[in-house]
Amino acid sequence: MTQDAMIDEWYPVGLVSRLDGNGRKTALMGEPIEVASDTDGSARVTSKGRVLPVRVRYGHVWASLGQPQKELFAIPEADQPGRRFVDVGVVRVRCSPLRAVENFLDIAHFPFVHTDILGSEPHTEVQNYKVEIREDADEVWATQVKFYQPQAARSASGGITTEYMYRVPAPTCSVLYKTCPPRPGEWDVITLFVQPLAEDLCDVWPWMALFDDESSMTDLIHFQQTIFLQDRSILENQIPRLLPLDPGMEIPTRADLTSVAYRRWLKRRGYTYGAQLVAQ
Amino acid sequence: MKLYDYILSPSCYKVRLMAALAGVKLDIRPVDFHPGLEHRGPELMALNPAGSIPILEDGDLVLTESSAILVYLAAKAAPDWLGGDAAEEAARVQQWLSFSGRLTASLGGARLHEMLLRPGDIGALQAQGIAALRELEAGLFEQSLRGQRFLVADRPTVADIACFPYVALAPDGGVSLDPYPTIRRWSRALRALDAFIEMPGIHRLHELKPEPHIESGEA
Amino acid sequence: MLSDPTGSWTPVVLSADLPPGTVVPARTPAGPIALWRSASGRPSASADRCPHRGMRLSHGFVRGETLSCIYHGWSYGQAGNCLRIPAHPGLAPPETIRVATHPVEEVGGVLWVGVGEPATQPPQLAGLVPLRSLQARAGVAAIEAAAGAKADADGLLETTQGSQKIHLLLACQERDETLIHVLLEGEGSVAERVAASRAVEALRRKAEALEMERDAP
Ligand SMILES: N[C@@H](CCC(=O)N[C@@H](CS)C(=O)NCC(=O)O)C(=O)O
Ligand code: FES
Ligand SMILES: [Fe+2]
Repeated sequence: MTQDAMIDEWYPVGLVSRLDGNGRKTALMGEPIEVASDTDGSARVTSKGRVLPVRVRYGHVWASLGQPQKELFAIPEADQPGRRFVDVGVVRVRCSPLRAVENFLDIAHFPFVHTDILGSEPHTEVQNYKVEIREDADEVWATQVKFYQPQAARSASGGITTEYMYRVPAPTCSVLYKTCPPRPGEWDVITLFVQPLAEDLCDVWPWMALFDDESSMTDLIHFQQTIFLQDRSILENQIPRLLPLDPGMEIPTRADLTSVAYRRWLKRRGYTYGAQLVAQ
Repeated sequence: MKLYDYILSPSCYKVRLMAALAGVKLDIRPVDFHPGLEHRGPELMALNPAGSIPILEDGDLVLTESSAILVYLAAKAAPDWLGGDAAEEAARVQQWLSFSGRLTASLGGARLHEMLLRPGDIGALQAQGIAALRELEAGLFEQSLRGQRFLVADRPTVADIACFPYVALAPDGGVSLDPYPTIRRWSRALRALDAFIEMPGIHRLHELKPEPHIESGEA
Repeated sequence: MLSDPTGSWTPVVLSADLPPGTVVPARTPAGPIALWRSASGRPSASADRCPHRGMRLSHGFVRGETLSCIYHGWSYGQAGNCLRIPAHPGLAPPETIRVATHPVEEVGGVLWVGVGEPATQPPQLAGLVPLRSLQARAGVAAIEAAAGAKADADGLLETTQGSQKIHLLLACQERDETLIHVLLEGEGSVAERVAASRAVEALRRKAEALEMERDAP
């Protein structure tokens, strides 16, 4: 079994709403696991007969193959009244779990990949924003990220300049906060929870906590599935499949500072499951 | 006309695409296919006991099966898309509409397996998908020898719309489109049509718009 | 088929399959490439991997005389130099950002990509007219066996199928995968070309069956 520091992290392994007694067979970092509900209805995750530590939070069941040193990261907005919580459902992607997270942190692709929804030419410029590795929380943060968007959310009715904050609280999870059209002053929360099946294969579980009293739940799910499926064909065609941590291998610009910080943080923490350390 | 629709369904996309090309406005009723499995719930099963979407409602008429829905839209709003009624052309349209069912079963099955974790024999689905793509490539190549860019004529018909989505999305199911030059040209010709619309997984042909001249907003 | 140590040409795509303003994927002994033709008709070959974040450039788009990546729209000129980074419209991309390129020759309706530094020109294929390309899950040996003929140093073999003479130009892709370019002696009628296309489909089925037999224990 891998000795990677990622072994002790929490990972999403299923939707709470779809738990059943039959159990679902899946995998975590190459190990077969089974996710089921126990006789008392609680979630139970096992790997070759061994019962794994489990949490039930943010619409998902979380498990770890190792001994988690930390509690599952907090998303305070998950307890805020008035938000709608959206289980978007799983999508499998043939790419490194780390590539999936990095793509989520990127805005420069919006005009080309999410054309006429999250971006459009000629509004391609990425303004300077702030990035830091918050040592106290041990998280990567990007703030004051602004981008022009033709249809920023399901509820948006025209183009606006959206502001984003990005947060990486765990190696395969990211939480983004974005301008909330119906509620100025609040942030919509959109997450990407990634279950690493193998170094080059992952199940992605997007989840959202939104202020939107207009759209149907199905509309909200479809909006996010649309966005993610546009990314999927990109993620499956990046070479190499693993995320290169060698700085000489790919070329970042100022627009990529979040990704630069993410890669640096992964390397520093020894989070290398799904990474490629040496240039090839 | 009301379409019971799932945004990631290539079969539903056929209907949205045909409607866009024919200039028909659809009233979209989104179905929570994944993760909700709403198409297997009582309301939709009552409309279509087969448990599949798309389903089209027009007044009292309820239509299932995407090929039938394409024919209905074309007959109502864009008869050119039905193909000519000479014996051979009419038969060719039917041939490719039937063939499209094999694309759904093979490439569509592989896509559901690889993307949404649907059980299935992935090796067999992909092999059947490749066999179907080769057949389509050969058919389109022979058409090109006859000076025709589309499946049954030198203009697109419902047959092209029935085949295009599962083909374009074959890579979602782990089936490469790299080896098919004629399919690539056909797909491009369809994507370049006026009023063409995409679905997730099919990117915009950005070259159809000129490169914008951008001024930097920064100092 | 010989392999030239200093460099060689691989026939990757037929001219007709690369219209102006398009890009296609292709494989060469030097790895995967994006082969594209500018609006004015000039063909170019670059590595199929964008230096920014590794996206395959063959998924990109051609505007005018440049190839752009579908992911973030970085565009590249014929020589592989980066010309535009849309996220930074005010920035002239530094010379150091470039994608590896390969020489391309267009001869007799076939696009050839050079690997290494070929000392010679690609073969002329005089008198032959390209029909179509198709891929076989079979090695060169199986295709030779199915065709009943050996390929020459250029990868070219001649076979008679029915009453027609057909030439096959073979390009080895990976182990047990071969790209077959079908060439005919002259234009021929539509019926003859349809027949040739079908004959090669049949030959491919035979070659793939032979390959399977060979692989079976
Ligand atoms: N033959 C049907 C098939 C359409 C089809 O396969 N639809 C999928 C969605 S893409 C579906 O409803 N599948 C039901 C299921 O797989 O449970 C048609 O062409 O309308
Ligand atoms: S990966 Fe090509 S532009 Fe970013
Ligand atoms: Fe994206």
